[in-house]
Amino acid sequence: MVSMSRKYEIVYIFDSALEEPQVNERLTRFHELLKSADHPEPITDISRWGKRTLAYPIKNREQGNYVVAQFETEQRLLDEFERALKLDEGVLRYLVVINEGLATVPTTADRIERDSDDDEAEVGLEGDEEAE
Amino acid sequence: MMRRSKTCPICEMGIRIVDYKDERLLSRFTTERGKILPSRLSGMCARHQRQLSRAIKRARHLALIPFVKAHSR
Repeated sequence: MVSMSRKYEIVYIFDSALEEPQVNERLTRFHELLKSADHPEPITDISRWGKRTLAYPIKNREQGNYVVAQFETEQRLLDEFERALKLDEGVLRYLVVINEGLATVPTTADRIERDSDDDEAEVGLEGDEEAE
Repeated sequence: MMRRSKTCPICEMGIRIVDYKDERLLSRFTTERGKILPSRLSGMCARHQRQLSRAIKRARHLALIPFVKAHSR
């Protein structure tokens, strides 16, 4: 039986009250659960967004500490990994998804902002012409 | 009122996969109350509309964008 291994991406939202060492301790502990013989170093990419305001309060917290990590591991290890996340009070929320080849930080953000301005101007012009 | 453009806005930007972490992009395709904008209004192609709706739902779960935006008058 060949073990099934896949690439995943996880977004953690840690309680903003946690200090940096406490977050690191948790990350090390969680990522330990993903290690296997085939993947002794499961984490391929990690990026810390830092503290940001939540769009709505979670567990009465207004801020969360976001960490995005990409990893490759076997499916059978995920259940135990997610169990550890659910039990940890310091994790406000998390999301594990299949890695579709996206960057850990949306690099397109700045470019889109500029593009969208252009688009809106063009659409506005077209609209006026058609209306007349 | 947003007019239907002839081509899909996401295709025009050259984005293949809609990123659920990109809340600035996603919020462009929501109404002022935070609902997902129908492709009828945005001109989005079917493939990207499907990707977008999934991305918006993921981003809501991660509190990147709100489920319901308070109405500002």
